Amino acid sequence: MLEFISTHQKTLQRLLIIGGGILALLFLFALPQNVIKSSIRLSTPFLLGSLAALIASRAGVLNLAIEGKMLLGAFIAVAVLYKTNLDPWVGVLAATISGGLLGTIFAVLYLRIRINLVILALALNLFVANATVFFMRVWYDSYGTLADPSIQGLPTIDLPIIQDIPVAGTILSGYNAIVYIGWLMVIVIWLILERTKFGRHIRAVGENKEAAETVGINVTRVQIFALTLSGMLAGIAGAFLSLGVLSQFLENMSAGRGWIALTVAIFALNRPLPAFFTSLFFGAAEAISLYIARQPEITIPPDLISLLPQVATLLALIAVALRIRGSEVMKRRAFVQQFSQEFDDLKRKIIPPPPQET
Amino acid sequence: MASALEMRGITKFFASSSVLASNNVDFSVQAGTVHALVGENGAGKTTLMNILYGLISPDSGDILIDGQTVKITHPDDAIRNKIGMVHQHFKLVPSFTIAENIMLGIEPSQMGFINRTQEADAVRKLSEEFGLPVDPTLRVQDLSVGMQQRVEILKSLQRDARILILDEPTAVLTPQEVRELYVIIRRLADEGRSVILITHKLIEVIEIADHLTVMRRGQVVGTDDVKNVTVKEIANLMVGREVILTVDRKPATPGQVVLKVEKLLVADNNGLPAITGVDLEVREGEILGLAGVSGNGQTELIEAIAGTRQIDSGHVYLFDTDITTSTVKTRRNKSMAHIPEDRMTTGLNLRTNIDENIVVTMYDHDEYHNGNLLRYGKIRDLARTLIQKFNIKSAQVGEGISTLSGGNLQKIVVARELEGNPKFIIANQPTRGVDVGSIEFIHQTLIDTRDAGTAVLLVSVELDEILALSDRVAVIYEGQIMGILEGDDLNKETLGLLMAGANIDDIVGATL
Amino acid sequence: MKRLRQIIEDFSIPTIAVILGLVASSFFVVLAGVSPTETFARLFCEGFGSRGCETFGDLLFVEIEDEDTGLFVTHFAPTYGDRGHALALALEQATPLILTALSATVAFKVGMFSIGMDGQLVLGAVVATVIGYALPNQIYLWAGVEDPEMVVGLPLIMMQIFIPTLAISGAMITGAFYSWIAGFLKIKLNVNELISTIVLNAIAVQFVGYLINFPLRADLNNVGRSERIDDTAWLIPFSRAIFEDIDWFSGSRLGIGIVIAVIMGIIIWVFLWRTKAGYEQRMTQGARKFAVFGGIPAERAIIRAMLISGALSGLAGAVQILGVERRIVDGFASSGIGFDGVLIAILAKESILGIFIVGTLFAGLKIGSINLQFGDIPRQLGSMIIALIILFTSMEDFFRDWITRIRLRFSPIRDVTPEKSKDV
Repeated sequence: MLEFISTHQKTLQRLLIIGGGILALLFLFALPQNVIKSSIRLSTPFLLGSLAALIASRAGVLNLAIEGKMLLGAFIAVAVLYKTNLDPWVGVLAATISGGLLGTIFAVLYLRIRINLVILALALNLFVANATVFFMRVWYDSYGTLADPSIQGLPTIDLPIIQDIPVAGTILSGYNAIVYIGWLMVIVIWLILERTKFGRHIRAVGENKEAAETVGINVTRVQIFALTLSGMLAGIAGAFLSLGVLSQFLENMSAGRGWIALTVAIFALNRPLPAFFTSLFFGAAEAISLYIARQPEITIPPDLISLLPQVATLLALIAVALRIRGSEVMKRRAFVQQFSQEFDDLKRKIIPPPPQET
Repeated sequence: MASALEMRGITKFFASSSVLASNNVDFSVQAGTVHALVGENGAGKTTLMNILYGLISPDSGDILIDGQTVKITHPDDAIRNKIGMVHQHFKLVPSFTIAENIMLGIEPSQMGFINRTQEADAVRKLSEEFGLPVDPTLRVQDLSVGMQQRVEILKSLQRDARILILDEPTAVLTPQEVRELYVIIRRLADEGRSVILITHKLIEVIEIADHLTVMRRGQVVGTDDVKNVTVKEIANLMVGREVILTVDRKPATPGQVVLKVEKLLVADNNGLPAITGVDLEVREGEILGLAGVSGNGQTELIEAIAGTRQIDSGHVYLFDTDITTSTVKTRRNKSMAHIPEDRMTTGLNLRTNIDENIVVTMYDHDEYHNGNLLRYGKIRDLARTLIQKFNIKSAQVGEGISTLSGGNLQKIVVARELEGNPKFIIANQPTRGVDVGSIEFIHQTLIDTRDAGTAVLLVSVELDEILALSDRVAVIYEGQIMGILEGDDLNKETLGLLMAGANIDDIVGATL
Repeated sequence: MKRLRQIIEDFSIPTIAVILGLVASSFFVVLAGVSPTETFARLFCEGFGSRGCETFGDLLFVEIEDEDTGLFVTHFAPTYGDRGHALALALEQATPLILTALSATVAFKVGMFSIGMDGQLVLGAVVATVIGYALPNQIYLWAGVEDPEMVVGLPLIMMQIFIPTLAISGAMITGAFYSWIAGFLKIKLNVNELISTIVLNAIAVQFVGYLINFPLRADLNNVGRSERIDDTAWLIPFSRAIFEDIDWFSGSRLGIGIVIAVIMGIIIWVFLWRTKAGYEQRMTQGARKFAVFGGIPAERAIIRAMLISGALSGLAGAVQILGVERRIVDGFASSGIGFDGVLIAILAKESILGIFIVGTLFAGLKIGSINLQFGDIPRQLGSMIIALIILFTSMEDFFRDWITRIRLRFSPIRDVTPEKSKDV
C-alpha cells in the first residue's frame, strides 16, 4: 500500500484538492449567506494565527506561544484606546508592536538563554493570560470585561466595485478592516517567503541550518526576526478579537484559538495559500456549529461539526507520515535494484580470498 | 613570491574530548596548484580546513593569504578572503533550486525583493564560464550526487573562491563523475586558483595533485611534490606509528565457520549505498581483522551484522542460522557480543551508573531478576566482580561513570561484552582513545578469548593493531572487500595500498 | 565531600530561581500598590498556613487568642487545624496535578515528549462520570430498589467499593488507549508526538464538550453539565467521613484521592527504578542507541510507557470527578490541569519526590492567590508568580554555564599534554 501511495502521490494530491474544492462549493451553495459571512469573519483569527505559526515553523521554531501573543494583542488594543479617544488603528498598531515584542522576548529566551521550548511557551501563555486580567483590575478597575463606550471599533469596509457584483459581492465586501488585512497578509507572507532575501533565508534556516551557516547567514538572527514577525501577526489577530466585533476585551478572550491556529498551519503544511483555505474550513466549521445551535429544528449537535477540522488534521498528519515512509521504502528498493545488477559485475574484479587449505 | 595560502603554527585542542587535533601545524599552498592533504580519518585534516574556513577558531597560529595575515573567525570572513569549501556532506537546501542554492546569502535584490531573472542569468553565466553546465531551475533534491557536488563547487566559484577546499570529493561519485571532476580541478588550477584536496585515496593523489602534505595525529609528517614520492612511501607515512605493539600470539587453529556474510547490501543514513556487496567468513578460534580507512562502510557493515541497521539485501548467518532479520536480542542470545566503536553514545549510557550499564545485555537473565523486579543486589555483585577482574580504576559500584577515563570506560564495555562467554564477538575500534596500559590489557583479552575458541571480528583503522592481533585481514574500501590477506602477503605496505583503493591485482599479482 | 557539594548545588539553583521569580513578580505587586513582603507573606499563609497566619513566621508557629481565656496560645502551625487548614486545600488541588505530572514523567522517561494529559484526563473523567451514575442506577433497577437511601450495611459497602473501582478502571483504560494512539503513530509512522498529542487533546476536549452538551446533558442549566454521580460512587472527602471530627480537614474535599496519588507515586517509582520494564524505559530515554545496541526492545518500551502515562491521566480525571466535582461541567477541561502537570514534571526534573513537593507548592500558590484578600490584589497574581518562577527555574542550564564560565576564569588553564592525543 505504501508503494501505491508513493508512486501515485501527485495524482492523489490533486484528487484530494479537487474533492475538497467540490465539497467547499457544495457548502457554499447550501448555506445561508450570513453563515458564509460569519465563516469568513471567524476564520480571520485562525488565518492570522496560522500565518504566525507557519512563518516561525519555516524558520525551524515551533511557536507554541501564539495563544499568549494573541491574548496580549487583544488586551493591548483595548487598553491603549481606553478613555484616550485615539483612532482605533492606534490600537491595532499597539497590538502589533506588543505581539512583536513578546515574539522577540520569546526568541531570545529560547535561542540565547536556551529555555526548553515547551516550558517557555506554556509559562509565557500562563503569564499573559493572568497578567492581562491582573492589569485589567489593577489599572482599569474592571472585572471580567474591559470596555469603554468611547472606543470605536475598526471601520467596516465596503469595497467600491466589488460590492456590486451579484452573488460574490455581498460575500466579499463589507467586512471589518482586519479581515482584509488578513487576506492581504496571505499575499505578503507568500511574497516574503518566496520572493525576498529575508524569506529565502528563513526557509534555508528552517530546512538546513548548516547550509545557511556555511554561507555566512546568522541563523539566530534570522530566527529572532521570524519569531518577531510571528508575534506581530499574532498580535494583529488579537486586535481583531477585541476590536473587530465588540470593541472590548474579555478575560481569556483567545479561548484556545492560538492552538487551533497551530493546527491550521500543520494541516496547511506551513504554506500561506493552503493556510488561507484551511482557516476558512475551520472558520466555517465554527460558523456552522453556531448556526445550528440557533436552529432548534436541526438535531445535529454543533460540537460535532467543530470536531471535524480537528479530526481532519489528525488524518492529515497521518497522511503526511505515510507519504514520507513510502518514499523511504521506494529509495531503498531502488538502491537494492541498482546494486544487485552491478554487484555481479563488480565481484569479478575482486580476487577471491586465497585458498585456505595448506 | 608569497604562497597563495600559508597557515603557520596552527594549534587546536578540543577540551571536550581531550584531543589535540592540530599540533603546531604549518601548511602552505602555491597558487595555481592542486595540493592534496592526506591522512587517515582523525589525522586532523578536516579540523585544519574547518579552521581555515572559519568554522572553528584555533588556539594559536596565523593564516596568511597572499602574504597578508588575515583573521578568520566565521565563514563570512573566509568567503570574503575568497576561500571556498565543498564539504563532504553537502550543505544544500533540498527544496531550493540550483540557482537559489548557489546564490544563498548573496541574492541579487532590490529593496529586499530578489531579482530572479538576474539570479538565473548569473548562474547560467557562471556555469558556462567554468564549463559546468547546469539547469538553474532544477531542484537540488532531484539531482544526482555528482550534480549536487557540481552545485557546491559553483557555489564557491560564484563567490570567486581563489582557494578551493574539497573535502573527500570523490567519496560519493561514480568513476565517470570522478574523471569529470579531475578535469574541472585541473582547469581551476590552471586558472591560477589553488585547490586543496582532502583525501585518503592515494590513487587520487597520484593522478591529480601537484603537491601533497601528509598528516598524522594532528601533526604534519611530510610534505613534498607528488612526482617525488611513490604510493608506498605515502602509505607508510600515513599509517606508520612510532610505538610498535607486540603481542605474544600463538598461531591460530581455526575451526568451523561461525559468522557468514553473503552478498550484503546496506544503505547509510542518507539512503546512499554504504556496503555494496560484501562476503565474509569468521571462524571459531580466529581473529579476522577488517582494515580500512574510516568511512568506507565499516560502520554500516558492523551495524548490519550486529542488528542495529536494516539490511537491504543479502544474508548474515550465525552458526548456520539466518539472522538477517533477527533482533539484536536474538543475536545476543545466540552468543554474539559487540564492542561498539562509539562507547560514549552506543556502548554506554553515561547518564546512569555502572551497574545499570553493565547489566543492559543481561537484565533478563534469570539470575538478575526475580519476576518483574530486578535484583539490584546481584547486579551490584556482578559489577564488583567485573571491576576487580578487569582492574577498572576509580570505578565504584553504584556510582556514575561519566568521569571515568576513556580507557576505563572501554574496559567496562569489554568486561560486559565478554561476560557470558560469547562465541562471536565484534570488536570495533576497541582501543580508540585508550591509554597504553589499557590497550595492552584489551589486546591480551581478545587474544585470550580467541584462544578459548571465540570467533573475533576486529575492525580498526590502526594498522598496527590489525597486524598485531589478526590471523587474517580483509580490507574494506568503498563498501567492498578489496582482498583478504594472510601469511606472507600480510604486511603494512600491501594493506596500506589496498586501503587506499589500489587494485589487488597490481600488488599481489605475483603470488597468485 | 563531592557528594555534599553536588547536593548543595542541586538545591541552591532551584531555590535561587524561586527567589528570583518572587523578586520579579514583586515588580507587579508594587504596581498594584501594595508591599511585596506583606503580599508574599499573605500569599504563603493563604496557601499553606493555618488560621491566624499573617507573616512568614506564622507558617511554623502561630499565636491564637484563645476564646475562653483571652490568652494568646502558641500552636505548631502545620498541625493546628482549627477551622481548617490551607494545606488540606493545597493537597486536594495538588492531587490531580501530581497524577498528571507522574503521567508526564513516565512518558518523558522513555523519551516521548507527550503533552496529551488533558485529553486523556477529560476522557477518563467522562467515563468515570458515566459509570458513576449509570451503573448504580442500573443496579438499583435490577435489584428493584426504589429508594437508594434504603441501601445500607453490607450491600452498601460493597457498592461503595465496587462502583468507584470500576469507574476508575474504566477511566484508566480509556486514558491508556487514547495515549496509545500517539505512541502507535510515533513508532509506526514517526509522527512527532508533541504535535499529535496537541491535536488529540483538542479533539478529546471538543468531543467531551459535545457529550456534555448533548447526549449526557442532565438538565437545562445554562452551562451544560452531566448527571451527578451516585453517592456510592463518591470518594467521600475526609472532612465528611473517617476524619470528620478533625478540624484540619474541614473546608476541603481532600479525600482518598491523595492516598491514591501517593500509592501511584510509590508504584511508579518502583516501576521505573526497580523493575525490568522500568529499566528498559529509562535506558531508552536520551540513549536510544545504547538501548538498541544492548537489545532493549525500544518500541515495546515506548508503547508501554504511553499506556501507563495515559492510564495515570485518566486516573487523574476520575479522581477529580469522583472525589471533588461529582459531575462534569462544560469547561472542566479548560483549567489546563494537564499542562500544569507537564510543567510540574519538568520543574521537578522527573524525580518522584520532587513531583509531590513541586505539585503541592504549585497548588498552594494558586489557592493562596485566589484567597488573597489583602489590599485588593487580583488572584491572577499567583499564576503570574508561578509562571515567572517556572521561567527562572528553566534557565538553570544558563545559570550553570555562567557559573562554570566564572569558575574557569579564576582557575588556571590546564596544560596540553601530548599523551592525550591518543585518539583524534
